[in-house]
Amino acid sequence: MIRNDLSSKKPLNILEKIETSLEKLNDKMEVMIEIQKNNTGNNLKNTPTLPDASLDVMTLLSMPDHLRKTAMTICRCTRATAEEIAEQTKRARAVESAYLNQLVIMGYLKKERKGRKAYFFIERETQS
Amino acid sequence: MTKIIAVHSYKGGTGKTSMSVNLAATFTKMGKKVCIFDLDFRAPSLFAILKARDMECWLNDYLNGNCEINKALVDMSDKVTGGGEFYACLANPATEAIRDMSSKDRKWEMHALGKLLALKESLLKNNKFDYLVFDTSPGLQYSSINAIVAADFVVVATTGDRSDVDGTKRMLIELYNLFEKKTGLVLNKVLDPSITAKKTEMKNKIKTDYQVPLLGIMPCFCEILRNEGNLIFVQDKPDHPFTKILGEMARKIENDDLN
Repeated sequence: MIRNDLSSKKPLNILEKIETSLEKLNDKMEVMIEIQKNNTGNNLKNTPTLPDASLDVMTLLSMPDHLRKTAMTICRCTRATAEEIAEQTKRARAVESAYLNQLVIMGYLKKERKGRKAYFFIERETQS
Repeated sequence: MTKIIAVHSYKGGTGKTSMSVNLAATFTKMGKKVCIFDLDFRAPSLFAILKARDMECWLNDYLNGNCEINKALVDMSDKVTGGGEFYACLANPATEAIRDMSSKDRKWEMHALGKLLALKESLLKNNKFDYLVFDTSPGLQYSSINAIVAADFVVVATTGDRSDVDGTKRMLIELYNLFEKKTGLVLNKVLDPSITAKKTEMKNKIKTDYQVPLLGIMPCFCEILRNEGNLIFVQDKPDHPFTKILGEMARKIENDDLN
């Protein structure tokens, strides 16, 4: 009886592991497809990293469409995870994560880790 | 759901301010709690139109981080009857304030956008306002684009003027579309009265020409011009066609009925 239980659990565990791996693979592929589609790899190479670039409306206007959508959403949320942004943009979490990280590299956003979660936010320092 | 409405146009003189004040007053007459914002910092006009007195704080002060939003609101509910509440948040008309606002940098403008977006929490959620109406300055400049980005719905006022038509078309494609804004067009100061009779025909033409829904057609009324921007027209003339057309527009916005 016990042996039967173990033998039935083993393939189930393996299947769960396969499913998790496939999900991870799918996430990575979605990011690669998006990056290739928007040629963001090249854009990113040419984009200088600015330590404190401002995410103002004129900057939003000059952004490529795919990044603008993410940037606009973070403007409204002030602070959010990739998952929260993905809920609003209706795009995959992994895709939003890639775009948010691009915006961090470009100097428009800041990123902060809390436990397993990564929060993205616009740093709006208090004015004198 | 539409809560923040920005009234914008490509050119000046299209009737934005008159439309903003009267649209806000129309919502107030419908029993709503409304606040009108003067975001035309280059040429503030609401201060004079609403005859505001003894201002403690201006919208400028709120955006500069010098006061809370509640301090910059003026209760003008006595100017509009109908059960609602009518507030105004005004731009400082002093020359020094206009000069100060025109010399702001990109960082400040980014901060100002954050302040406008924060109104959703402070006024709509915490203070239970139903509508915020942004009267903007014409064309593509920081204060008006900030207003458009912060708004849920943009009312675009346009006239039959050739330069206005071309500019508006470009602006709709190159600005509103990029920000994915819900937009409604108001054909204002229409001289040919027969146009209003051919509404369906006009609606389709606007949709084809501008690729946006038609919110309303407003004929040119000499009575409005004669008022010299002195009063809230919908309050003073409840049976005037101008008041009725604005009522229809407000209901369309409220019911999200723009097709």
